[in-house]
Amino acid sequence: MGPPTVRLRIQTPRGLWSMDQPPNAQKRPKYAISTKVEQVIADARSVFGFVEEDSKYTLLRGGEVLEPQRTLASYHIEDDTLLVLSVQGGNA
Amino acid sequence: MTVAADVSLQALLEELALVAAYAAAAGLSLDTASLGENSLRFSMTFPNREGDLFNAEFECTDFPLHPPTVEFVSADRTQRGTLNLYPQGFHPTPCVCMRYNRKAYGERGGPHGDWRLLDWRLPTGNGVAIDTLALIVSDLDSKIRQSSGRMG
Repeated sequence: MGPPTVRLRIQTPRGLWSMDQPPNAQKRPKYAISTKVEQVIADARSVFGFVEEDSKYTLLRGGEVLEPQRTLASYHIEDDTLLVLSVQGGNA
Repeated sequence: MTVAADVSLQALLEELALVAAYAAAAGLSLDTASLGENSLRFSMTFPNREGDLFNAEFECTDFPLHPPTVEFVSADRTQRGTLNLYPQGFHPTPCVCMRYNRKAYGERGGPHGDWRLLDWRLPTGNGVAIDTLALIVSDLDSKIRQSSGRMG
């Protein structure tokens, strides 16, 4: 028996990442609760091809910004929680 | 008008499905009640860091060939484009100074005479290309959530 895990749903501006969406995703949002938020951001970016580094990527739960260095457990995130990947472009 | 209204409307409806999903997940309010061939516009409400609400209108004539005109308006839509309707952090003209906003272009009186409307999907700097309505909404949401207060 491994560590406790959660299955997430993550809405991005390019679509939803879940256990079955998008169908051709190379990875799924199933995480040990000890996983840091920054890892979830990195994985969501890779699934939807957000490769640009000169942008700001933030994970939200409702209106709450999740700090990248904290773990999912520290936010008491439960199975099937819907998170948001917020993407900010460059500035003119 | 360069793009037929029915073509623009169809493009908007296709993109608004993702905007609606994003808005629901992010706790944003989306209003498409007035959207139609005679009114190619919708609006959204964004909270800033303090929870103050800002209403943005997206006027989408000639979309998707040209970007929307993004403007902050009062809740009752009787005022538009004044400093007190803008969150802190945007261009002081005032203007959302991004390629996705038609108001930012020199030919529309905006600060960027060096941009062409047809290139609106290009990235600004080395960032993500903000080339869909959902990405426009995400970019605005991210910037407004970090801001506090109003420009005027």
